[in-house]
Amino acid sequence: MIGSFRKKGLVAASAIVAIAGLALSAVPAQAAEVGVTATSIKIGTTVPLTGIAGPGYAKVAPAMKAYFDYVNANGGINGRKIEFIIKDDRYLPPVSVEKTNELILKDKVFATVGQLGTANNLAINSRVRLGSRGVPSLFVNTGFSGFADKKKFPTLFPLFSSYRMEAKIMGGYIKENFAGKKIGLIYQNDDFGADALKGFESAGVKFDVSIPYVSGTQGAATATTWIQKLAAAKVEVVYIFGVTTATAAAVGVAFAAGYKPQWIFGSVGADATTIVGQTTVPVALLNGALSMSFMPDAADTTDEYVKFFREVNTTYNNNATFDNNIMAGMNGAMMVAQALKAAGPNPTRKGLIAAIESKGSTFASAGYPPIGFSATSRVGYTGFWIGKYNQTGSLIPVEAKGTIYTTDSANGPVVKTTSKRPALPTKGLPN
Amino acid sequence: MLKRKHEESSKREHNPYRRRILFFLLLGWALLLLGDRVSELRVYQGALIAIYALAIGSLILLTGYSGQLSLGQGAFMAIGAYAAALTQIYLQPPIIITFISAVVVAALFGAIIGGGAARLSGPYLAGTTLALALGLPTLANLFSFLGGETGLYFDVGIAPERFGSEFTLYKWFFWIAALATLIMLFFIQNILKSRYGRAWKAGRSNPAAAQLVGLHVGRRKVLAFTISAGVAGLAGALLGMVSLVAPSTFTLSLSFAIITGAVLAGLTSLTGSILGGLVLVIIPEIAEMVSGNFGESEAVRANIPGLITGLLLILTVLFTPNGPAEQWRHHQEKKKQKALEKQKN
Repeated sequence: MIGSFRKKGLVAASAIVAIAGLALSAVPAQAAEVGVTATSIKIGTTVPLTGIAGPGYAKVAPAMKAYFDYVNANGGINGRKIEFIIKDDRYLPPVSVEKTNELILKDKVFATVGQLGTANNLAINSRVRLGSRGVPSLFVNTGFSGFADKKKFPTLFPLFSSYRMEAKIMGGYIKENFAGKKIGLIYQNDDFGADALKGFESAGVKFDVSIPYVSGTQGAATATTWIQKLAAAKVEVVYIFGVTTATAAAVGVAFAAGYKPQWIFGSVGADATTIVGQTTVPVALLNGALSMSFMPDAADTTDEYVKFFREVNTTYNNNATFDNNIMAGMNGAMMVAQALKAAGPNPTRKGLIAAIESKGSTFASAGYPPIGFSATSRVGYTGFWIGKYNQTGSLIPVEAKGTIYTTDSANGPVVKTTSKRPALPTKGLPN
Repeated sequence: MLKRKHEESSKREHNPYRRRILFFLLLGWALLLLGDRVSELRVYQGALIAIYALAIGSLILLTGYSGQLSLGQGAFMAIGAYAAALTQIYLQPPIIITFISAVVVAALFGAIIGGGAARLSGPYLAGTTLALALGLPTLANLFSFLGGETGLYFDVGIAPERFGSEFTLYKWFFWIAALATLIMLFFIQNILKSRYGRAWKAGRSNPAAAQLVGLHVGRRKVLAFTISAGVAGLAGALLGMVSLVAPSTFTLSLSFAIITGAVLAGLTSLTGSILGGLVLVIIPEIAEMVSGNFGESEAVRANIPGLITGLLLILTVLFTPNGPAEQWRHHQEKKKQKALEKQKN
């Protein structure tokens, strides 16, 4: 017995020695800057490729990759090829956290870019603490106004005009054009929707019927309860402030039930291709629905950016059906490429952030409103244009093309102005 | 000489408590050294291994010893996590109180549900707990103070400054998770070796016989359920600390993963639970390595972890139905017996 106990002790001791030895050899070598080599820069993203928000949004990351492939084919950034890693988070915040851990601890990316979703980005930043780690998080795909807080999110740059701005601008439009009508609102009951509610409040809009929904429940069954409520209250104008799958569900059920209000789609859930692809709604039925955007419409082939992105899409994205999601992806990627270029020949994470602070507001992009980045501001686009869908599902400006409304995410005024967007750089590459 | 040997060995046999405490101290020391020497990714995975090991431990106690099959450990983990998050957010007590509250609240729910469950057994209990695992986490979507799908964050803060600036966040998580797990597993190990453990075993193997010798089997079952839920609650709180306290953290697949880990580890061996935790964390790693050879196909890649888990389960059931740890012990005992027989001859 003693013998066997001693033997056991010996086994345990040698196991510990072996583990310690293994551990010692596993200490990683320190590179000059994480994710950067002489020939490559590694960046990564977390987006829904599958799951409840997958339809439509699954096209964003591949579109980004297509643009990066185009940049790589044209010499890369300062001689470095962009290596882009896409992780599917199924739009579930805990999964975003898990995948971001993989990106920064295992893949060791230089920066994260274009992560999608408000709750997802909040989870990533509070859990993985990109800020205190110094990991840049560039041009995330969400319009939550809270992300512009530099103190809270020191390495994060949101690009989209905020939901609060959107609610303020559309709120003003509703007051002006639909006075006296019964108005309803469907919104996602999380920080994404709450941000909009604040905007509506500053605009002074009151809704006769207000329907919150929980992210993940936006199917036909839930949409049926929305439409029943709205139809019963004889609501004439319905504003849907949700993801595209929510818009699609609502429009699909309403179409089947013969309920025809004046639709207003929030910019997040307004991609016509996705809505029509998700339901049995004929595209012509969207005709007359209002929406807003800070980007040109995907169908507007007279726009130089749209034309360029369509070309990249044909060659580098297997000619996928071109829509607003692809536009958003490529536009974000174009911003990333310019930021990497601006960070100089020996990019560091700190240098990248400083470069966006000093030059970010001058980056070329397809968005119409001015970009607000500066040493003190983390606000991306600062406004919207208002449009109406036509028979073929294109969003046509209700005023002269280039007319935009700018505002802030607080109680500042809404200003009507004209876009002074920078021209497309030569070959669409960062210069 | 032989007599002395016998005396000493029996002394050791009579003081397994000391041996256990030594084992856990040694293990803790090894982990401490290890945590200092591996990359942050490994430390993060180490924290996950500890959390899974604890959850598996709770299931081993419940299923392996008291014989109640639960498919709903994820639900108790969720209860613990929400309890911890709410305690931390609204009261901001020291972390230890946060975790204790997770244990207490989850155990309370366990006692209530266990009270009902004691009347059920086999597939009926499995069905009930399955419903619990499916339904309970989504309740968070009904009450706004539970944070909906966005979830709650509860912050245990960063490591104390005296640990130095090199002490990363995940190392801190690993320390907390590993320490909590070691203490809890030690506690469970002791219960299992006590008269309670023996009573559970008796009730599991032959309820009628157990009742005949005066054991109140139903009451013992509720007690097992309560303790198991409390332990699972702690595991859930730890998982919430590392990840998020949201319904999508505590999915049905988490409950199933824990059962898988428990079966792979051996349902009757607590030491195996660490092995089970290790396997659960390693499978996705191996899957990624393997899927590299299958190119870009998402359909293949997504299914490889399931394939590996399935294969492991089949192999376990075929070759080591009680888990490798138990198998090893069995093997050693056989060898000893053979040696004894030889001596006799």
